[in-house]
Amino acid sequence: METPPSSINRREFLAKSAAGAGAGLVLGMPGILRAADASPSKLLNVALVGQGKQGQVLFDAMRNIPGLHFQAVCDIWDWNRNGAVARIRGLQKHTPKGYADIDELLATEKGLDAVVIATPDFWHSPHTVKCLEAGLNVYCEKMMSNTIDGARAMVKAMQKSGKLCQIGHQRRSNPRYRFTLDKLINGNKICGQIVNVNGQWNRAVKSSQNIAYKPSLTIKPDILAKYGFKDMHQFMNWRFFRDLSGGAISDLGAHQIDIFNWFLGALPKSVYATGGNSYFKEREHFDNVMALFDYDTPQGQVRAFYQVLTTTSSGGGYYETFMGTEGTIKISENSSVTEIFKEASPAPKDPSAPPPDKPIPLSWDHLVKSGYLGRKAAAPVPAPAAGVVDSRVSKPPEGFTLPGELNKPPHQPHLENFFASVRGEAKLNCDAHHAFLSEAPIYWVNPSALSHQPIVFTNEHLDV
Amino acid sequence: MTTESTECCKSTPATECCKSCPEANLGFIYGAFLLRVWLAVRAIQTGVEKYSGMQGSDQPILIDGKVNDYGLTSSVPVKEYALNHYHGVPEALMTKFTQEPIMMQMKWALPLYDKVLGPALLALGLAILLGFFTRTSLFLLGLLYISLTWGLILIKEDSGVAWLGIHMILIVMALMLAKYNRLCLLKKW
Repeated sequence: METPPSSINRREFLAKSAAGAGAGLVLGMPGILRAADASPSKLLNVALVGQGKQGQVLFDAMRNIPGLHFQAVCDIWDWNRNGAVARIRGLQKHTPKGYADIDELLATEKGLDAVVIATPDFWHSPHTVKCLEAGLNVYCEKMMSNTIDGARAMVKAMQKSGKLCQIGHQRRSNPRYRFTLDKLINGNKICGQIVNVNGQWNRAVKSSQNIAYKPSLTIKPDILAKYGFKDMHQFMNWRFFRDLSGGAISDLGAHQIDIFNWFLGALPKSVYATGGNSYFKEREHFDNVMALFDYDTPQGQVRAFYQVLTTTSSGGGYYETFMGTEGTIKISENSSVTEIFKEASPAPKDPSAPPPDKPIPLSWDHLVKSGYLGRKAAAPVPAPAAGVVDSRVSKPPEGFTLPGELNKPPHQPHLENFFASVRGEAKLNCDAHHAFLSEAPIYWVNPSALSHQPIVFTNEHLDV
Repeated sequence: MTTESTECCKSTPATECCKSCPEANLGFIYGAFLLRVWLAVRAIQTGVEKYSGMQGSDQPILIDGKVNDYGLTSSVPVKEYALNHYHGVPEALMTKFTQEPIMMQMKWALPLYDKVLGPALLALGLAILLGFFTRTSLFLLGLLYISLTWGLILIKEDSGVAWLGIHMILIVMALMLAKYNRLCLLKKW
């Protein structure tokens, strides 16, 4: 039997944050939904809805998870659908049934336990709601929807159905991220007071091109129209259209702004964004966006900057950086980008200032010794340039690394968490309600950029 | 080789000397065998190494002396052998070769050589080890080393050329001692 769905709302969330009652726990460990009617040994019957690129990424992660039976596949494009059927037949020696229409799938297939949805963003909400109403547990890719109302409908459907709905913010189940939050930021407080956050996803023009297709494989116009696409180009490139997607800030930024909120244990008070079509002028969505968020956290004010650029890969790709008074954590799904720095221990400046709650450790040797951190090889200190004197220049910080790696495809732990929750063995790491709380501010980035105005959030902006 | 200091061999050909005075030529027999085995081992293991690669082996991370609860692992590279690791010409050298104007004129040659090199080393090494057409096998191994030498000259790897030169001297010595060959499957050729 499933536990009743979450009834947490933003007011409750903020009240808990203000009271220092562990908003991080709220955002980080929802612990609200679990389905317990599936026995651990039971094979879970799964339907895959949407088998484009992201659907294939999820399938490649799921194929490593034992106890799954892929019963049916749904995609309006027979190229995707037939490919998925063949992949599944190769994996489980059983041919799943393929459907072009989700209604037909839901009406025909019996005994399904879960659905994994990786359709275009504007279909997430209708598909998720249908599946929840049909009594199925749902794993849906992020962004929840292309509209905040679509996302709200998903939360309400989850609450009404009592079924599980996990949103694909896969970093929430990534052991490297969970360890960093639990043990380094909260446990050992290595950052001290986090004052600034900085994140980015920079992608080169070459990687941001329109997706091409073979004309011979074009879907019939009436089918495209039935499912909301103007033509095949729009079907392949729905991420660039305002009615179908939230654009780059939603496609790429949502993952990382979610980490801002999760790690800070708070939601932003406001956003001020700018964006434009500097290169891809024909696209409806901005090709680059920069956004500033203001937070009031239990520790104090935090300012966060996020940029998504689809016109350059410079600047180190994608990562989130949490900068504190004592240390900085730069974390990424790409482990080679992850770095941790300790501030050079400052001499006390003001003897009359009250001592900190906890003495600032002079070194992190104890953390290295006990396995919490690895030590990074020291970079050579550059010689000061002749004629340049800055008496206030900081000493270079000491470098450290996270102690381990994720040895699976990045989506696998999140899917494992979902299926374990369906079996009643775990709690969802990112159910639809907590995903909504974290995603809601992101829906206001594009409006801020379009209006050139900051948006100060109210309940109307962020509540379900 | 017929000038062994043993008296009985001073005026007789080596093969007859062997028959008439085998103890006097035991050194040549041992020498021929050792050289044969050395060249065989050198070729076989070089061929086998072309099927080697590194595979990560996941080890759980210990925190406070215990296995962490998060599933964090460290990947320890472990060497393994598999057909899909095969690389005839090392990648670093392959890049250099592809940039050479001569190789650009014969684009087909490098992939073919890359495919053949490992199996050829293994086959010739085994033939020499087992004494299967020893002289012909040594001769072919010599040709193979000449081809490697030519490639290294092309990309100016002088130390490699010198190294292969030593191998060529050993092959020539083995051919000269071939008449003392023992423990062979096929003495012919």
